[in-house]
Amino acid sequence: MIVTTPKPLDELLDFLSPYSNILVAGCDGCTQPPRGLREAKTLSQLLELGGKLRNKDFIFKVTTVAKQCDNYLAASILRPQINGAEAVLSLACGIGTQTLAEIFPELPVFPAQNTHFMGAEEREAGILEERCVGCGDCLLAVTGGICPVARCSKGLLNGACGGSKEGKCELDPEKDCAWILIYEQLKKMDKLELLKEFRPPRDYQLSGWKVAP
Amino acid sequence: MVSQKDRAQVEEIIDEVSGKVYLPPCQIACPLGEDIQRSHAMLALLHLEPEEAANQIIKIGNEIYEKNPLFPLCSHICGLCEKECNYKDETGAVRRRMLVRLIAEHYLPYLETKPPLPAPTKEKVAVIGGGPGGLMCAYELSKMGYQVSILERNPELGGALQYIPRYRLPQEIVNSVINSLLRIAHIEVKCGVQMGDGGKTLKDLKSEGYRAIFIATGTPVPRPLTMEGELVKGAELEGVMFGLNLLYDVNQGNVPPRLYKGKRVVVVGGGNVAFDVARTARRLGGDVTIVCLEGEDKSTKDGIPADVEEIEGATQEGIKIVYSRGVEEIIGEDGKFRKIKCPRCTSVFDEDGRFNPKCDRSDVVYVEGDVLLVTIGQAPELAFYRQEGLLNERGRIDIDQLTLMNNLKPGIFIGGDVKRVGFAAEAMRDGVIAAESIDRYLKGKELRVGRKKEYESAPIPKHAHYKPQPELVWAPVEERLNFEPFEKGFTLEQAVEEARRCLCCGPCRSCKACVALEFQPEIPDIKYNEELCVDCGNCVFYCPCDAIKFKSPRGVRFDLTLCRACGLCIAVCPAMALEMENWEREHISALITKAASETEKPKILVFRCQWTVLPPLDRKFTSNVDVIDLPCAARVETFHILEALQKGIDGVLIVACPEEDCHRQTGSKEAQRSVAALGERLSQIGLQDRLHFCVVAPRHPEELDKELEQFRQRIEAIYSKESR
Repeated sequence: MIVTTPKPLDELLDFLSPYSNILVAGCDGCTQPPRGLREAKTLSQLLELGGKLRNKDFIFKVTTVAKQCDNYLAASILRPQINGAEAVLSLACGIGTQTLAEIFPELPVFPAQNTHFMGAEEREAGILEERCVGCGDCLLAVTGGICPVARCSKGLLNGACGGSKEGKCELDPEKDCAWILIYEQLKKMDKLELLKEFRPPRDYQLSGWKVAP
Repeated sequence: MVSQKDRAQVEEIIDEVSGKVYLPPCQIACPLGEDIQRSHAMLALLHLEPEEAANQIIKIGNEIYEKNPLFPLCSHICGLCEKECNYKDETGAVRRRMLVRLIAEHYLPYLETKPPLPAPTKEKVAVIGGGPGGLMCAYELSKMGYQVSILERNPELGGALQYIPRYRLPQEIVNSVINSLLRIAHIEVKCGVQMGDGGKTLKDLKSEGYRAIFIATGTPVPRPLTMEGELVKGAELEGVMFGLNLLYDVNQGNVPPRLYKGKRVVVVGGGNVAFDVARTARRLGGDVTIVCLEGEDKSTKDGIPADVEEIEGATQEGIKIVYSRGVEEIIGEDGKFRKIKCPRCTSVFDEDGRFNPKCDRSDVVYVEGDVLLVTIGQAPELAFYRQEGLLNERGRIDIDQLTLMNNLKPGIFIGGDVKRVGFAAEAMRDGVIAAESIDRYLKGKELRVGRKKEYESAPIPKHAHYKPQPELVWAPVEERLNFEPFEKGFTLEQAVEEARRCLCCGPCRSCKACVALEFQPEIPDIKYNEELCVDCGNCVFYCPCDAIKFKSPRGVRFDLTLCRACGLCIAVCPAMALEMENWEREHISALITKAASETEKPKILVFRCQWTVLPPLDRKFTSNVDVIDLPCAARVETFHILEALQKGIDGVLIVACPEEDCHRQTGSKEAQRSVAALGERLSQIGLQDRLHFCVVAPRHPEELDKELEQFRQRIEAIYSKESR
């Protein structure tokens, strides 16, 4: 999933204060829990209360989209609802927010979330961790399903480095050493020989910025 | 129009897949299927006014009486439900027996005036044997409208109940329960009736107009001592008798109070009846020793069968126990009992689990005494059954186990201990089964169809904390060596506390205490709008009762048999795809609007879990406070809290149960979490003081008053600052 956290309300109030009619667009997509209809409603309520304290009356229209990052989908759903709005507040990740900005070039589009990374959630513990950096050259087949690019602090392809201590990273003693995890997993799978293969430096061009669909 | 009473009736919850009936394990264990969880839930919320509470207890008693008119007796001698209690493995079973004792204490005076059932008008049915099984069968038949006569050989009814020592089961309770039952159910009684052996025959009863007969004559014959299939010599000696006869004589008042003063009494047997005999003999002044085949360690296959409480009580009373010894010979002197020869018992049950004791005759001790009381079990008296042709070729009672009808003679039903020795409640269950069969038989219906039910326990609720089990309180030994009951009952407050421990393991719809308590008109359904669902799985993850499952490949499925209708799924659904019947979002919004318009400034709105408040329900609040009761604090949505603030409410107070009292396990905890998260966001705009979460124990409205007062002061301070 894409991991986001809500922006502080006063920051949002600062963005929005020049405007009165605002469309709050939720996104049912990749976050957990999705910033959908409920969060759009809750956020509009909080902003309305916050606005009142600043002697500012907002009029919010609340809606949601299955995936804001799909410009065709977002445009189809949101365009019919945009009438009268002076600004758009997007609950999507940075991608969805940018998509809306493209769809509504005449309107200011504000992010309601800070976007952090592509990660996974350990629900019981309530922890979100980065899992993928989108490098364009997936190594998971040979690393026991554990990505060293995202999870090793140094992004090493031929780990581990000498700094691993009791399974933890020398840069952050709370963080598991990705290469130790990889070693343990490959051992379990009886595929330790994979570690003997030298992996050449990454081709950074592969991560790129554009691919054909 | 469905009446409140009908809506409050429990439902049979059948699992769609397995076809089994979901019930709490205690109720499955109770041979009479008492609605145990329901009565616990109601006891836990007894009214604070003692008089009103007493009325409620009688109401609870009436419900139990419907299924079990002998429950005041069970509250002294049973406890099968406690053996299956899910609390047992945590800190000890909920003491149901003592809770029923308290209900019985309130109920017995009422029982004398309880209105009778409608007078029966249907066919005449005879019940032979007036023990627990016979009484129960007669009651059930009378409820169905049959005219029942009980024929009893002894001068009084009660059967095996007449052998239970009065320190365990007081005579006046036995008399009161039986006499009231006869009156309420219009049961005719004929005592002193001998069946067979020159007395009446079944043919006689038929010609007297009885259309069906239930026979439950129990096991009145004490078993004699044997060793390897041979009768043990010396049973004719003076001073040797059956313990069972002693119990009967003592209860009948035929025995001087210090019969065994200065005498050494040896009791043979390791069951509960042997302990009854030993403790009775001790109370008659004897110096008592128990000799039993079984070993001390109850956890082994050859462990002593008597209950732990009996062994503990007897030991406290100075009774000695000689374990793992058989009796090879009773030795006398001048025709009087002197001692028994006891070889070491090496094994009680054989590999097939059959009672087949083996002794090592080279390892022998002698136990001396003046009196020998043999209490090693009882057997039925089968002569009458033989004479009437009710036995099969192997000499066993020949019945269909499902219907209890004799396979050889239709219209004759047999149950209770005579069929298989068991607990009183099990004999009573046979009475219920026979009554149902008799009804079908007399109506010409199929006897077997739909009778076999399989039960399954619902998933066990998990709690973060488990409260300790209250100790049983017994009178000190020096005060209890008489025939007065020595087990101290619960006070009302103790009973309420104990009932609060009940985990309520059964499905809501098999309990419905909340409906009976008039919290809500019915258990609400959850409505799922699949079109809005975004497949996030929050509802499945948060549901405390495992009632929501993923459907493949998309969407979720609600198992309303397991749903406890807390509303947590609704509050955590990011898509607002769920609604709760009777507690719809719009309905709550309308209540908020009303509260905002009707209360005075500074306006305070309380969202309260309804389990925290009762009783009394109608607490008065100041004119600036309004209360919205919810099925659980987990039903509170952030949406509603913010809506209240938007509509001009100055402060919102959320009242939940303490975590260990939460009827939905995690409802209170999750409500606290979500209120805290909202408080964090409100602090970003300076409104954090407008929202407060607190827990209030059920039946402690003063705690709510205190919390509310503190909150009111806080809100008034904010308000007066703002007004300035």
